[in-house]
Amino acid sequence: MIQQRAPFIKNIATALGREMNTTKKPERNWKYNPQAKTLTDLSRDELVQVFQKQCSNIHTDYIETTADQLKEVLANRVDLYGGGPVSIWKDERFDTFGLRNLLEEEWPQASIEVNEWNVENGDDNIILAEKANVGITFSDITLAESATVVLFSTGGQGRSVSLLPQTYIAIIPKSTIVPRMTQAAQIISEKVQNGETVPPCINFISGPSNSADIEMNLVVGVHGPIKATYIIVEDR
Amino acid sequence: MKVTLFVTCLVDMFETNVGKATVELLERLGCEIDFPTAQVCCGQPSYNSGYVEHTKAAIKKMIETFEAAEVVVTPSGSCATMFHEYPKILKDEPGWSARARLLAEKTYELTDFIVNVLKVEDVGAKLTGEATYHPSCHMTRLLGIKDAPYTLLSNVEGLEMKPLPYAYNCCGFGGTFSVKMGNISEQMVDEKVDAAISTNAQILVASDGGCIMNIAGRMQRRQVPVKVMHIAEVLNSH
Amino acid sequence: MAVKITDGNFKDKVKDNLQDDFMRGAVSGAQDRLRSRRLENAEELGNWEEWRSHGEEIRQHVLENLDYYLQELSDNVQKLGGHVFFAQTADDANRYIEEVVKKKNAKKIVKSKSMVTEEIGLNAVLEKAGCNVIETDLGEYILQLDEHDPPSHIVAPALHKNKEQIRKVFEEKINYKKSNDPTELARHARETLRNEFLTADVGITGCNFAIAESGSISLVTNEGNARLATTVPKTQITVMGMERIVPTFEELEVLVSLLTRSAVGQKLTSYITVLSGPRREGDADGPEEFHLVIVDNGRSKILGTEFQSVLQCIRCAACINVCPVYRHIGGHSYNSIYPGPIGAVLTPLLAGYDDFKELPYASTLCGACTEACPVKIPLHDLLHKHRQIIVEKEGKAPISEGLMMKAFGIGAASNPLYTTGTKLATKVMKPFMKDKEFISKGPGPLKEWTMIREFPTPKNERFRDWYKNREGGDNK
Repeated sequence: MIQQRAPFIKNIATALGREMNTTKKPERNWKYNPQAKTLTDLSRDELVQVFQKQCSNIHTDYIETTADQLKEVLANRVDLYGGGPVSIWKDERFDTFGLRNLLEEEWPQASIEVNEWNVENGDDNIILAEKANVGITFSDITLAESATVVLFSTGGQGRSVSLLPQTYIAIIPKSTIVPRMTQAAQIISEKVQNGETVPPCINFISGPSNSADIEMNLVVGVHGPIKATYIIVEDR
Repeated sequence: MKVTLFVTCLVDMFETNVGKATVELLERLGCEIDFPTAQVCCGQPSYNSGYVEHTKAAIKKMIETFEAAEVVVTPSGSCATMFHEYPKILKDEPGWSARARLLAEKTYELTDFIVNVLKVEDVGAKLTGEATYHPSCHMTRLLGIKDAPYTLLSNVEGLEMKPLPYAYNCCGFGGTFSVKMGNISEQMVDEKVDAAISTNAQILVASDGGCIMNIAGRMQRRQVPVKVMHIAEVLNSH
Repeated sequence: MAVKITDGNFKDKVKDNLQDDFMRGAVSGAQDRLRSRRLENAEELGNWEEWRSHGEEIRQHVLENLDYYLQELSDNVQKLGGHVFFAQTADDANRYIEEVVKKKNAKKIVKSKSMVTEEIGLNAVLEKAGCNVIETDLGEYILQLDEHDPPSHIVAPALHKNKEQIRKVFEEKINYKKSNDPTELARHARETLRNEFLTADVGITGCNFAIAESGSISLVTNEGNARLATTVPKTQITVMGMERIVPTFEELEVLVSLLTRSAVGQKLTSYITVLSGPRREGDADGPEEFHLVIVDNGRSKILGTEFQSVLQCIRCAACINVCPVYRHIGGHSYNSIYPGPIGAVLTPLLAGYDDFKELPYASTLCGACTEACPVKIPLHDLLHKHRQIIVEKEGKAPISEGLMMKAFGIGAASNPLYTTGTKLATKVMKPFMKDKEFISKGPGPLKEWTMIREFPTPKNERFRDWYKNREGGDNK
């Protein structure tokens, strides 16, 4: 429902001193376009270097690995963070990267509880994510400049998994790396223009939560995760 | 080159030496000086306080006075900025806006003129000691002259330049601000004075009469033994 | 709280705040740190001026076409299943939000930091309606616990408070037993607030930018509180100033890049969250109901005027972080939820000159604000425009000043008057010259000057006299 729109918008047109326009799309003829030149001349490996360097600025651990070793690396990381419970997305990429056995056999056998997002469980998903020690998701798009993972959340990819657990691990397929937010915005904007509906929640996440509200002292870990690790993995 | 001098009212009344130094310096650099005695104040005190209409008569007077000049040079970044504001102030007065624009286009702050018009970076000045430079706000931000004073000062023989901490912060002058908001202005100028003291320099150099009056006045009151000099005086030392 | 925070005048507040050594140390320290972080991150881009110009043109374009983009935005929100309410006034907005909250029978509301909800005084309305309203941004939370102490900075609201004061507040109000270490304090707030998030009925957020093409809103935070407020509660209400909108994701990106660099010197903050409508079928978190409240509250009166560019503001506080006046007097002196240069421009426009006529004069017109603004709002020019209106249209300048300025205008415009006046100055000043060089106790308008500094004595020989008498001088 939309309420009180017509008089509100008409008042704006009056203030602007012209007839109201709600139908003709204004042309955007930008004179400047600085974002098109920013980091766009770098190769993928150079972008990975930019990404890695930025991780230290945002208090995030960086690990680079191959698809074969991913399972071991991930298991070690979860151990380092103190084990389960682990909260994960319902996501085919766990299979693509050969992690299903770890999730369904190895961890449960080692008494590490794994909770996969399951829409049928409703609100319990939030409760399980809140209880979790580690949240694990993949990155849908990855920004080199700001060391940011972009997560499209809907369906099995619940928003809570990257937010409520104590710690967070993002698995980043190398092919998802782009220079900066510019390219992510283009990808999303293109979807919109093609008539696709954007997911109800898109998060651009750069490291763990933090605050400098007390005497400008940086505190890492406020409402979101307290620690974060990015694992960059060669694609399979 | 024939240079018409806009000396500014502060220099005319209070800082005669700055005017003399400006004339001698420019003559030494081969300029021929012209000083139209009809010149008055640029109008900034009343204009900045919001009395725009009242100021227009003074502005027009200045435009007439400097109309015949080839170039106008002034030892003040702030007053030069005001000349550059004239076209905006008179934009709705058809007879005047074009004349204001011509004046703005040929008006230069002293150090900008020396470095960017005369193309001189070393004026052959000599002065022994350590100095620090306070960049005035209007000159650096509104007029965009950032490097010229430093370039010239770095070439003064015997003068060692010390960076001024928090140089970018205003000294607290701000025209009528200095008396309207006296207690705030006091804190600002004190921070500036303390920054100058922390450099251990014996000389504080500035390019604007307003800043100089403010900083020097506060230093006198606090009996701080730092000499405040206008950049024209430094560049005219030899 | 509305725009105006308390009664009391500017001069008294300045006087009090100049005595607050902790606040002044905190503010200048924060300014220095934020300034250098902003510059580092801006310089790194290599073409910051181009970025600023692009930011400016995007914001100008949006303001010029605001009717179209608001229509597009609201259509798209509706398509996604959200509700949109256009609120002409603060009261309209508050009434609508109160209705939604009552319909939901909501008792507990979590809020993430939002200037516009401060502006419309939403919390008081909801509290009166019997709701428990909890601010969840750490700074805002501290202030709320401390008997609603007002914010002093639009990005770091509790900047004026030290950690010991915060420890005491936590001890009194939320059963805190540990030290004044910021990490321990923050962890305690995390635990306390986590519980509130999980049991809240409604989440209320502001909006950094809405995206017209997709009907989305975006939230820029570091703490993650805005994410929590939009993940757990079943109802989400987002309140936005009507001008906070971009055409597409591509412009969002540019403005977010400018915002995070300018506000906190970060390439991006920890969380940029883009939300499009309520949760979809098959989602197990996110709000089931989404309301977008678009607020005018005086903004349309600024559109189309010489102050229009102030609506370009993206609330980054870069101007506040470089202002040499704010540096000393702090945020509370402005008595507005919008302090600093942007506040001195915006407050009189939203809340009138009667209570805020001093603010445009709380500036040396040094231009630091204009230089720092990532979307190129000519802030010092706008402060000057306010002065002109106060003097020429509102007639609110002191009479004595008016007379002086008029006399000055006449004197400056007339060469004989100017020449005589400057010549007389030496004679008039003679009784006040305790020695030759300086005047320490001046008369009339000089009194204010000489309370703080010496005033130079006018020279017997003015420059023009010297020039005239000088050998080889050109006697005109």
